[in-house]
Amino acid sequence: MAELLEISGITKRFGGLVAVNNVTFDVRDREILSVIGPNGAGKSTLFKLISSFLKPSAGEVRFKGQRISNLAPHIVARRGVVRTFQETTIFRNMTVRDNVIIAHHLRSRANLFGFFLGSALARQDENIFGQSADEILAFLGLAPQSGEIARNLPHGHLRALGIAIGLATNPSILLLDEPFAGMNHDETMKAVAMVRSLRDRGLTVLLVEHDMPAVMKISDRIVVLNFGEMIAEGTPAEIQSNARVIEAYLGSEDEAIGL
Amino acid sequence: MSPPVKILSVVVFLFAVFVAVPVMITVTGRTDFYYTLTSVALLSIASAGVWLTFYIGRINIGQGAYSLLGGYASAILVVDYGWSFWLTIPAAGLLCAGVSILVGLPILRLRGVYFAMVTLVFTEVARLLALALPVTGGATGMTSIPLPGAVSIFGLTIIPDFASLENPRLAFYLLAVTLMVLCFAAMYRIVHSRIGRLCQSLQQNEELASSIGVNIVYLRLIAYAISSFLGGVGGVIFVAISQSIYPSSFTVTDSVNFMLNCFLGGLGYVFGPMLGTLVLYFGWDLLFEAGRFQLLIYSSVMIVLILVLPNGLLSLGLILRRKV
Amino acid sequence: MEQVIVNGFYLGAQYALIALGLTLIFALMNVLNFAHGQMYVLGGFISYTIYGKLGLPFVVALISSGVTLAIVGALFERFLFRTVIKRSLREESTMLLAAATAFFLDAVILLLFGEKQRGVPKIVKGVYNDGNLIMPYDRMVVGILAIAFIAGFILYMKYSRPGRAMRALAQDRVAAQLMGVEVDRYTMIGFALGAMLAGIVGGLLVAITGINSGIGGPISIKAFLMVMIGGAGVVGGAIAGGFILGMLESVGLTVLREFGDVTYLVIFAALMVFLSIRPNGLMGKPWG
Repeated sequence: MAELLEISGITKRFGGLVAVNNVTFDVRDREILSVIGPNGAGKSTLFKLISSFLKPSAGEVRFKGQRISNLAPHIVARRGVVRTFQETTIFRNMTVRDNVIIAHHLRSRANLFGFFLGSALARQDENIFGQSADEILAFLGLAPQSGEIARNLPHGHLRALGIAIGLATNPSILLLDEPFAGMNHDETMKAVAMVRSLRDRGLTVLLVEHDMPAVMKISDRIVVLNFGEMIAEGTPAEIQSNARVIEAYLGSEDEAIGL
Repeated sequence: MSPPVKILSVVVFLFAVFVAVPVMITVTGRTDFYYTLTSVALLSIASAGVWLTFYIGRINIGQGAYSLLGGYASAILVVDYGWSFWLTIPAAGLLCAGVSILVGLPILRLRGVYFAMVTLVFTEVARLLALALPVTGGATGMTSIPLPGAVSIFGLTIIPDFASLENPRLAFYLLAVTLMVLCFAAMYRIVHSRIGRLCQSLQQNEELASSIGVNIVYLRLIAYAISSFLGGVGGVIFVAISQSIYPSSFTVTDSVNFMLNCFLGGLGYVFGPMLGTLVLYFGWDLLFEAGRFQLLIYSSVMIVLILVLPNGLLSLGLILRRKV
Repeated sequence: MEQVIVNGFYLGAQYALIALGLTLIFALMNVLNFAHGQMYVLGGFISYTIYGKLGLPFVVALISSGVTLAIVGALFERFLFRTVIKRSLREESTMLLAAATAFFLDAVILLLFGEKQRGVPKIVKGVYNDGNLIMPYDRMVVGILAIAFIAGFILYMKYSRPGRAMRALAQDRVAAQLMGVEVDRYTMIGFALGAMLAGIVGGLLVAITGINSGIGGPISIKAFLMVMIGGAGVVGGAIAGGFILGMLESVGLTVLREFGDVTYLVIFAALMVFLSIRPNGLMGKPWG
């Protein structure tokens, strides 16, 4: 498998604090890679660095061989690296379907002026987006909710909507921010199946996650962070038997490793 | 609304403003209403701009600055450089849009009350600049600005010289209302096309918008530039009517009023600023009879309206529909 | 030079007190109280009536100003803002309400007290003068009182039960509610306290500069500026903002005297640049 995303020597300092220190790893085409680590390990900072919501202090991120760090987030999204957010980040006052339609923005061929005039291209776009949105909503099991105002959705559906928004941009690689947080066992298992089906659609998935059993179940490879440093990288089996990982997790109170 | 209903309401509206109102005024002889309604039309254009910035999630209390800038630009071009008044409408509008891009680049990063306050301060900066700059004539302002001249193409007079008209009030009314109709038609298109959705996406969540590939910086600037263009155009016509402009022609109070018009009409409705302006301005005028109780009645009515319809006057339609 | 600094300090103390009330209301409810200046004016006229016209002691006048405005604030919160906040789709809708209450207070003030500039007899006579520093005693008294009120406010917010509850509210409304803070009650107390501070400053300053019905708007704008400089919703920010604006005005009016309004042009333009660089003021949080 080819390397899709290369993270090399990436470092982020906030004042005197080093949140992420010299982290290097690759994400291969069509794999599911998870970044795990105890609280405060620098996971979300790393996540923001990859999606270019933060600028790195040193190092760089390359996508398909081209440097994407230091580009504006919307340009990184245009290249095909798209992040999702934790549940509350949706367009609250739009319907579910409109949320997904607007997320097709990247695929639109008409420009702002074309939209204003209602050009043929713009109208074609609208039709295609509508169909595609319906397809995505059906894929994620959100079709019955498509007419609801997004802020009224229950938690599980909100998470799915976040992913639907990400999918609508037609990304090559989707970054998921704690997709299983706050879910019970059954919900997690459903979500795991959903992430797998994303990969079956041809996507590469990079996720940042807390929920160990889910991560072990779903990932092709795992990267472990602790205090901003990468302490291990490997398959779930390798990670489970890695002494440094066990030490890091035993050091923190309430997290246990294992299935 | 179904398409036939839509077309019908547009026709009724156009008939009302272009035919019914002038006829009514001629019949009743209340020609002073021309001035009031012209003002409402112009102020609603500037308010429409403010509304658009609300639509991208920014509270804009700086529209007065652009009306002032547009007014001065037009006055200076007409008086000092001999431009035709008609050319100064787009010129001043574009100047305002240009300035707003320069100002907007740094300040549009601010959100919430911070943006609101900076724009409020900007209104004050504009007034003080108008006082201090040499081209504006300082505190005495510019007076006796000529009325709009004639426009003719191939010897055919399309617009007569306003100075030669026996009823320039009607002419100004028609001009203002025409611009208002154009402005709101354009706003309607913006809001009901994808641009409107994009603006809403900014209003609801800028981070998410940028993660789905929306160029938020660009879109914010465009919206703010359109807003300022409208503010400038409103200012230009105002100056032409009063034939004068002073640093105090548009102040913080005006900026605040533009914002209030939007709130009162309803932030979620594209025609909100028009209705809001009509109610606030006309209401204030009508209450003139109340003498010293004018402000008390005005503010009390306003408070009651907000309590009953906190989402704007136009949300009434929604409430009624839900009940039916 | 000492003169300029002392004047700035005196101005700053008054300003900080005004800004504190505004920032408190903002922190608790996310409401930008457009009527803050009008509350100040109302406080001034009440003190004028009680001390200037009825001849009662200044302290009584000051207390009456504070109490009246606290009541006005509590009523506004309970019957107007609470309703609108609960029912409106967008938080900003309270701005229209705040502006309407400002007009309303303006109208009431005009009807009750007229539009004349009013002054009162000096509360303390005499002037301190040691050759290079001139300071009337009444200004010193008012300045010291203002600083005492600021100190009192800080202590109240830090150590009293309502103070702590309000700080929790400002930090995180939902969390505070979960912890058992009576949100509605303390929001009302907060609004009343904010309004009271405005009234007290009005009552204090009537002894120095007098009062007239037209200055409500300009006072509100100055208060906004201070809050923006320091950072909205932060107590320390409001105090810093107040003293900074006081100093800027004092220095600016001395240095740029012959240019008149250019002082304010410079201050305002500088503020715009400052906020563009530091969008949340000196110590504000990135909210709002």
